Amino acid sequence: MQHETMKKKLGIYICACGGNISDYVDIEKVKEAIKDEDAVILAKTTMFACGDTNQKDMDADIKANDLSGVVVASCSPKLHLTTFRNVSERAGLNPYTYVHANIREQASWAHSDDKTGATEKAIQIVKAAIAKARLAEALNPITIKSERSVAVVGAGVAGMKAALSLAGMNDKVYLIEKSKEIGGKLKTMDVISPEKQSGSDLLKQLEAEISNNSRIELFTETILTESSGSIGNFTLKLNTPTGNCEVTVGSVLLATGFDTYTPEEGEFGYLSHSNVITLPEFKAILQNSSGKQLVVNEKEINSVAFIYCVGSRQVKGDNKHCSRFCCTAAMQTSLDASDKFSHLQCYHFTRGTRSYGKQELIYKATNDKGDIYVQFPDKKPPVVETSGDKLSVKAVDLLLEKREHEAEVDLVVLVTGMVPDKDETIGNIFKLPKGRDHFFNEIHMKLRPVETVIDGVTIAGACQGPKNVAESVNSAIAAATKAHSIIAKGELQLEPIVAYVDKETCNWCNACTDACPFSAISPIDFKDKKVAEISKSNCKGCGMCLPVCPSDSIELISFTNKEMESMIDVLAQ
Amino acid sequence: MQKEPEILSFDALVVGGGIAGGETALNLANNGYKVALVEKELSIGGKMILLSKVFPTLDCAACITTPKVSEISRHPNISIFTETDVHSIEKLGEKNFEARVTRRPRYVVEADCTACQLCEEACPVVVRDEYQYNLVGRKAAFIPFSICSPKVAAIDIDNCTLCGACEKVCPPGCIDFTQKPREYVLKAKTTIVATGFKLFDPLKISRYSYGSAKNVITSMQMERQLAPTRPFHTILRPGDGKVPDKLAYVLCAGSRDDSVGNPICSQICCMYSIKQAQLLMGALPMADITIYYIDIRAFGKGYDEFYEQAVSMGVRFVKGKIGKITEKPNGNLSLRYEDIATGKLKEADHDMVVLSVGVTANAEAGNLFEGKKLELDVLNYVAQPSPLLSPSKTNIEGVFVAGTATGPKDIPDSILSAGAAAGEAISYLNQ
Repeated sequence: MQHETMKKKLGIYICACGGNISDYVDIEKVKEAIKDEDAVILAKTTMFACGDTNQKDMDADIKANDLSGVVVASCSPKLHLTTFRNVSERAGLNPYTYVHANIREQASWAHSDDKTGATEKAIQIVKAAIAKARLAEALNPITIKSERSVAVVGAGVAGMKAALSLAGMNDKVYLIEKSKEIGGKLKTMDVISPEKQSGSDLLKQLEAEISNNSRIELFTETILTESSGSIGNFTLKLNTPTGNCEVTVGSVLLATGFDTYTPEEGEFGYLSHSNVITLPEFKAILQNSSGKQLVVNEKEINSVAFIYCVGSRQVKGDNKHCSRFCCTAAMQTSLDASDKFSHLQCYHFTRGTRSYGKQELIYKATNDKGDIYVQFPDKKPPVVETSGDKLSVKAVDLLLEKREHEAEVDLVVLVTGMVPDKDETIGNIFKLPKGRDHFFNEIHMKLRPVETVIDGVTIAGACQGPKNVAESVNSAIAAATKAHSIIAKGELQLEPIVAYVDKETCNWCNACTDACPFSAISPIDFKDKKVAEISKSNCKGCGMCLPVCPSDSIELISFTNKEMESMIDVLAQ
Repeated sequence: MQKEPEILSFDALVVGGGIAGGETALNLANNGYKVALVEKELSIGGKMILLSKVFPTLDCAACITTPKVSEISRHPNISIFTETDVHSIEKLGEKNFEARVTRRPRYVVEADCTACQLCEEACPVVVRDEYQYNLVGRKAAFIPFSICSPKVAAIDIDNCTLCGACEKVCPPGCIDFTQKPREYVLKAKTTIVATGFKLFDPLKISRYSYGSAKNVITSMQMERQLAPTRPFHTILRPGDGKVPDKLAYVLCAGSRDDSVGNPICSQICCMYSIKQAQLLMGALPMADITIYYIDIRAFGKGYDEFYEQAVSMGVRFVKGKIGKITEKPNGNLSLRYEDIATGKLKEADHDMVVLSVGVTANAEAGNLFEGKKLELDVLNYVAQPSPLLSPSKTNIEGVFVAGTATGPKDIPDSILSAGAAAGEAISYLNQ
């Protein structure tokens, strides 16, 4: 061990992060404190370690000083671990000789009220990283073969478009739909704004394209019951009308869609008055109505009140999110209704309109045709009153000095929002994390909106969050592009940081198998006993199996007991 | 002068090196396609690289953009042409495009520059720094900004006095005043237009006094003041360097406004203003911040929750459109507005005003193509003939569009459209 330590020549970089770190941590002091540590032959501070200039400097330093390992003390490894591994690799080192120290999230940001303390903590963190770097070993990525096929789960507009897009990129696609028919909610959409295309026409077009495409294998009335394996090789068990079968794919694209919020009985008079209906119900009625007079439940309709944010942005309920599509959807429906029945008077009870972007022109058109907008306070929703046959909506109007506005109308339309799919099976099968809004979570909200923390699984359409049709299609093609990138080469390189079992000391007790969230551990026979074996391609190196092992037979590469103990020793000094 | 343009061949030509163009290029390059990425500015990264933090995660924009930019600039399948103007792109046939471009001289040998900034110190000429949105000055020999890519100095020849001071101090001797524009013909099988947007010019609304009242700034100027690569180390009002303590945001400055020719909503201003307000509460804990709005359009994932967070932090939201901003002798501003809650005309005093300027089309996209023109919509954004099923297709087969070239978008939507454009382009190349 002493010998190994002697061999290492480490370069240490301490980043200011343009003030994010150096405003609270005295980085010069950190440098002074660590520059004489064992094996350290170079220590520098830098304004932006991740910047191009510093990356060039590191490359030159590694070569000029014949370094055998590098530590950068900067931000979270989630941001830049890979960046600096790549710098090491470009300079001729094995990328896994690089060790990252996080002194931003763990020191400067956490202790912005205590500069001395933050600096001391940063010094300890860097010293611990150096201790680890002394022991860090060269590792090689695991290369596996990948299936050149993708399973698309859910055949609504997002799933259909994703399947077609993948097929266009020459990938084999299994399109899996639990219902008898494909199309999801597309067929219920009469006119899709702002392009005024009919949902059923779009569906016909997509159906034809799918059935004419030899690369797409469609499974309807099919339930995905189980998934095993991981990126590159997922084996999916399918329950089809003709029996059970299995498909093996390199990547899985989930487009499981959303549910429409169903108002509770009595919510704004829903179900207690027959002419209080939801927006999808109103659209269906409009689709099937013609003539000069709109009639709903045998009542002539001359005025309509739309109540917005039903089931969205709830003050009391769980749905805190904005459903994004519904303001414009209600406005467009008002235009469509007036196109058919020109005398209709429409009222909109809103919490502020959100017709973002070019959709503003739709809002403008409703104003131009004489629609009346009332904005009610967040905490004081409108009241729907019924007396006999009469229906009225009463609200405090923020646009009119908080005066009470009462509109007597023939029909109340509840503008219902999007809620996550009630069927949680698929999410549970893939162990996909969800956000506070219960939609599937992407890996990074800004820059990686279709990838998930489960390698090889992408998400498209409204299962990630509310979207209109055009936005769903955009995300579907984007997800298809990512899925294609995963499988197109036919092979994949995986992280070598995985756990392994010492078969001599292991007496399989099942504890690790139970703890593993990725189903990577199974028993095998070894010298008259059963021992645990960990699949290299399934293991994600999370370390959950390590602490539960009663005989301490599991080690995690790059986080070995020796490495962790050396770090703890430094921190405990 | 170069006699014949250099001819280079690629699979894809991406016009615009902002986040949408960059992401499109990466998606293509990661699938083995050779990409030419053409950018008119001195650095790639577009507007995102200059932002402070992003909503609603409050990730530092520089921290998440630099790895992307670094990946783009190092990718073996991507050739970057910065400071390059596109004269014309012609479609000669299916999968056969030819672009004529000119790379303007930087007067610095890119390969030799170490970004040591000695030229910057030596240069005697000070002009306004466009990358800091004119808040401070820069030299005529300069590095555009600290995280630019490529990080190479440039000489601003329009303002240079040719005194030679920079040449004398440059250690590798890489300043070269004899550089000439270089002409290229870039051949490609597909073209992706990612020409982005232009910020609304607030001088068009004279009643907001931008340009005459010193302490009225744009949101992009505030963005720079809040960025890690900021010009000052705190928030200062430009008129006298005072730290402001009563700030106002004027939303819809140049958006939802027929009178300035931009009837649509810019989609990002509510959220970036709410974000800046939250950051300001951290930077200036004692300051009062008021946001004057028409509607709060917090429609994206996590956005409404982010808005509620700003409300609970104490940001004051006033529903009312600002009619007029008047500068007072002490540099403070008087804002005249209709307070919707009371229906009364009111005046409010603030010591600094931020105009939340909107997004407008970059109409240059319409002039890129020779022969069959790229079609624009009535607002001068690139037209989408099939917005529902193929949002990145344009009127020219084989030409795709990504990012805000088709209309206002936030970052996630730009990234999605970049993914979609790359996917459609790969399908086209596979045909």
